[in-house]
Amino acid sequence: MRPVIAIAKATVGEAIRRRVLLIILFIAILLLAVAPLLGVLSARQEQTVLTGFVLGIVQLSSAVIAITLTVYMLPNEVERRTIYTILSKPVQRWQFLIGKYLGAVAALAIMMGLMAVVSVLEFGLFQQDWAKGISLLQAYGMFFIQMSLLASVAICLSTFVAPLVNFFLTGGIYLIGTLGYAFFDSFNKNPNAPVLGKGMAFIVSSILPNFASYNVQNPLINPETTIQNPTMYAVNAVLYGLFYIMIMLIIGMLMFDRKEV
Amino acid sequence: MGAAALFVGQAVIGNVGVFPLWSKNYSPVREGKSLVSASLSADQMLFALAGFRELIAGILWVRADSFFETGNYDAILPIIRLVTMLDPHQIDVFATGMWHIGYNFTDEDQRSDRRYLPSAVALGTEGAEENPETYEMFFETSWLWYHKIEDNYPAAVKWMELAHQKQDILPARRNLLARLYERNGQVDKSIELWFKLSDEAEKTLKADTEKRNYSLRTNRDTIEGNLDTLLVRMSQRGFFNQKAGGSYTDYDTNPPFDVGFSAKVTVVDEKVLKIQGTWNVLSIGSRIRCVLRDADYPDAIKGSVDWEAQAKSVNLDPPRDRTYMQEGLFVRNQRFEKKIDMSRDPTMYPMVGKNYVIEFYYNPRSAPAHIQDKFGWNGEGMTDKNLSNMSTDARPGMKVLYASLPITKEQLLLRGEWTDKVPVVKTANYAETDKNYVETPDKIDIPGLPGKK
Repeated sequence: MRPVIAIAKATVGEAIRRRVLLIILFIAILLLAVAPLLGVLSARQEQTVLTGFVLGIVQLSSAVIAITLTVYMLPNEVERRTIYTILSKPVQRWQFLIGKYLGAVAALAIMMGLMAVVSVLEFGLFQQDWAKGISLLQAYGMFFIQMSLLASVAICLSTFVAPLVNFFLTGGIYLIGTLGYAFFDSFNKNPNAPVLGKGMAFIVSSILPNFASYNVQNPLINPETTIQNPTMYAVNAVLYGLFYIMIMLIIGMLMFDRKEV
Repeated sequence: MGAAALFVGQAVIGNVGVFPLWSKNYSPVREGKSLVSASLSADQMLFALAGFRELIAGILWVRADSFFETGNYDAILPIIRLVTMLDPHQIDVFATGMWHIGYNFTDEDQRSDRRYLPSAVALGTEGAEENPETYEMFFETSWLWYHKIEDNYPAAVKWMELAHQKQDILPARRNLLARLYERNGQVDKSIELWFKLSDEAEKTLKADTEKRNYSLRTNRDTIEGNLDTLLVRMSQRGFFNQKAGGSYTDYDTNPPFDVGFSAKVTVVDEKVLKIQGTWNVLSIGSRIRCVLRDADYPDAIKGSVDWEAQAKSVNLDPPRDRTYMQEGLFVRNQRFEKKIDMSRDPTMYPMVGKNYVIEFYYNPRSAPAHIQDKFGWNGEGMTDKNLSNMSTDARPGMKVLYASLPITKEQLLLRGEWTDKVPVVKTANYAETDKNYVETPDKIDIPGLPGKK
């Protein structure tokens, strides 16, 4: 386990020194800071708009960070040949991959944590509503699982796909896994939808990662919405995420093991 | 092997433990609706699902406001639809949108395009489904039935009863349910509710020990006033006496009043009608509904359309190949005469079909109180020498005026054999007005107390 932790630590240090990630983070925090001004643009209640916007910014920036962070992780090691010095030591390839993944997730947690702190302060200091700010943490928790899942997809693909292709591929999977589920749901709820379409939707939704499961912002933006079994739902969603992450990592390990570096 | 087991595991958890709950609690798609059928473009869809729904919906609604100011009503419709889909909890948009769709599409003479009514009702229904915790959309939908559609009072009552169950309903709006019961002929329920509301208002007023809330007193007084008036009306119209099995011969509603209806429709030009007729009733509150529609208009009922049956979904395109014109004919000196020009609005009156029907309809439940004093709540106080003008099956449990005249497309457009002839359709009892007739001021006949006619 030690090599895994050592690689993870090194990955975190590397991640927080990468300029591109810091720039994305800076832009996200800047947008969060100006978010209260956007309320006046809308006819809707200011806090409703602010909540929706803040959650949207955190989610979108986290997704960009997660993809950018992980797609270059393994290829860079190969390109810079640093992987040889690591693998020449008593470190298994799977340990290297897991260490890299855990490091990426930890770096992601730090960056998302920073954005969460900014948004809580924003609600507390400017809106005088600490409770609202703190309530957003449950959404950030779900976003974190979502981004960890996204990172696992990216790192799995990075074992056999070029970084640029991986960037768009992971982005595409995230888009389908987020937006596509609304379409699948639409098929299911529409009594006139063809059975074949429903069957296809079922198959695709069973294979693709369901990122939409972690979009739980609706009751936070509209507190009057009634939610049934939120705890059970959260447990199931986390369990689902862990299963999928494990699948991605196992596939990644198998591919990385066969890869010639 | 392990990966395969995990794969099956994630599929089971995803499809059994996550997706159904997500679909129920967090999905942007509502039960029975399809995002695909919502006609959103790809970019709109992306916005809808990408996490900035409320902000974009709010900005779009501000944009719609500028279209209202410039009178560009057509441009507002898609925005309303989009905003309600992006942010289904923005009640103002549902309420304003419903009103806009129901009222603002008019012809050159300000007659509403009623082909939009099902969409207005559907939008109200959707707004209520999306916001079941507040009374607002239930009330607004009820109001549309009551005020705009007018004579489907059971629907208005149904929605107002739902609004009444909500805790946040305003006191003055609570009172409207009693009025609606009366309009719906449920006089017993109306009086019962007035008494209940009166008790509640009295209690609330007493609880306000500092006597600071003047509106509580006003509300109590209003309820008392309405209660008194209804009791007097019930008494004068013989309601109590009938219930007690007493004589029902000496009231304003009995013997029934002969309304003396007759009508004649002349096509004076292409799509221009001149409607004349007689109606032996006071001017104020005596507007007779005149409808011109396709003979096979879907879900047509006597004097109207079953709009509820058509209100399945919000469709921004009304049936463009159908014609439905509705006008209120104002009565003066026991006669009515109106020129209806439909030639300037070809999209609203396309007249594609071959056969049409012109209907005349008067529902005593929609009449003002002083007319109802004669006709009663259920039309028991009205009759016509030409009995075919009266209908007891047009609306359940009541008697209404109803007459219909068939007319063809060729007649309306003055084509074929009608190129050189003037098409005229009329009721069997229509008598031409004396050419020497001189218009005199209306004779006002105020209903008296029992036996003092």
